[in-house]
Amino acid sequence: MTEKHAFRHILLAVYGVLACAFILAPLLITVVNSFSSVAYNVFPPEGLSFRWYVNLAAQSEFYVAGLRSIILALSTMAVTLTIGTMAAYALVRFRFIGRGAVNGLLMAPVVIPNIAIGVAMFMFIVRLGIVGHYSNLLVTHALVSLPFVVVIVSVGFTNFDWSLEEAARDLGAGPFATFFRVLMPQIRTNLIIGGAFAFITSFDQVETTLFLVRPDQNTLPVEMFLYLQKWQDPTISALAVVLIVFAAFLLVLLSLALRGRQQIASVLRAERH
Amino acid sequence: MTAAADTLAEPRPRVPQRRRRRYGAILLLGPALILSLYALILPMLVFLRYSFYRFERGRLIEDWSFDAYIDFFTDPFYLQIGLESLQIALTVTVISVLISYPLAYCLWRLNRPSLQKWLALIIFSPIMVSVVVRSYGWQVVLSDQGVVNQVLLGLGIFSEPARILYTALAVIIGLVHVFLPFAVFPMYSSMTRLDPALREAAYDLGAGWFSFFWRIALPRTLPGVIAGAQVCFTLALGSFVTASLLGGGRVQVFPIEVYRATAEINWPTASVANLVLLILAIVSVMIFSRLARLVED
Repeated sequence: MTEKHAFRHILLAVYGVLACAFILAPLLITVVNSFSSVAYNVFPPEGLSFRWYVNLAAQSEFYVAGLRSIILALSTMAVTLTIGTMAAYALVRFRFIGRGAVNGLLMAPVVIPNIAIGVAMFMFIVRLGIVGHYSNLLVTHALVSLPFVVVIVSVGFTNFDWSLEEAARDLGAGPFATFFRVLMPQIRTNLIIGGAFAFITSFDQVETTLFLVRPDQNTLPVEMFLYLQKWQDPTISALAVVLIVFAAFLLVLLSLALRGRQQIASVLRAERH
Repeated sequence: MTAAADTLAEPRPRVPQRRRRRYGAILLLGPALILSLYALILPMLVFLRYSFYRFERGRLIEDWSFDAYIDFFTDPFYLQIGLESLQIALTVTVISVLISYPLAYCLWRLNRPSLQKWLALIIFSPIMVSVVVRSYGWQVVLSDQGVVNQVLLGLGIFSEPARILYTALAVIIGLVHVFLPFAVFPMYSSMTRLDPALREAAYDLGAGWFSFFWRIALPRTLPGVIAGAQVCFTLALGSFVTASLLGGGRVQVFPIEVYRATAEINWPTASVANLVLLILAIVSVMIFSRLARLVED
């Protein structure tokens, strides 16, 4: 019995290791490839060099695009956190006619393919005559990331002990003071995770951006995507390594921000008090 | 809040509702609703309108005609695209579920917290890396002289490099990889809702691990499986970046056709293809939520 038990566990462990290999393979191989000395994809690399990093350093459009993407992602995050938290509060706290429909409408961008949103928005802004305007990107990215913020913050509000709010109001705190000093500290983890989702959704957005961006003002993923349509040298590998390091940096930042908080999984679902 | 108190069909905690000040709801929902109206509803109406335009000799003609619809539904090329899109999305969904369920189980069963943390990090952190980067990674792995081919050649399975890149297979592999975290998460989350006492009870009553899995664990985690499958299916149907980088123009799916037609100013065709894509997505969501309800009963 015990031996069969152990065998099953070994099998499961082997499976876990294989699955991890599958998940990490393309990332690790990209890292190796970025040090390749030749321009074509060959494994193992024929020689090692830093030439793709040197090449990357010379391509200033990637930095500018990267900066643009970060600014856009931060703006998207600020907008969605603000209006998403407001909406989540209303959805959790009030019962009103059409609540289900409002919720469905706000969640719709999750199930609608992003490319459909991008094309529709493109045709719409052509009609309005505002092609190339920055607001188009911000509005569309906010729309696409809003559902994540609404869901994650709603869970925080659902788990919130509302007698605290009543107490604060009874003691004379105004609605804003109550929100910032009583509610916000309690749902901080949800706000951080929701914000991170909004940032990543915007930072990684290609399908909608592709239609809305001015050709001389590409965001980073679009710039990379278009570069890959033309060339396939390991410059993109070098850039990918930079982005993987950036993702790791964000992850460290996120775990620092969430240090000492409850299990993240429990923050993401409604619990009984 | 302990796991044991966390029963399966827990009712949502009752949040006291404030009946007064209903205008508060409108005020708070206002900005989000205006955003949805401006960036979703109005654009959808505009693109629907364009589907009734005509496209002649490279020009758009304002009209109320069904030309684009008739062209779309009678051209075998679009039928082919539809079939390929559905086929790829279905294959990706089935493979993702088959790979993710045991992986979610691994994550759930690991009893060393530090190991569990690392496994979760490996599974979920790829979300932080751009889809463009991950698809490019698969380009490198699957290319003619890439790792996979070198291994296959080295083992003597093939005598010459297999063409994997720029085929539907490459797209499927890439999509499974990109969606894996989205499939694992709902499954894992449904597993954490399983009461550990159930396991003890089943084993005490003499059930083997398989009958525990088949008769108790699986039925109770099926909602997670369906949620994961739904995410994979809708995302796969709408995938553009991975399909175009790993398909290299040789794999024709709806999003690629929508992009191509839009770039060629054939907006009526782009709109019809877009509408079909939208309807497919909505129908699949309806089917999956129907399945979810069936499973929960």
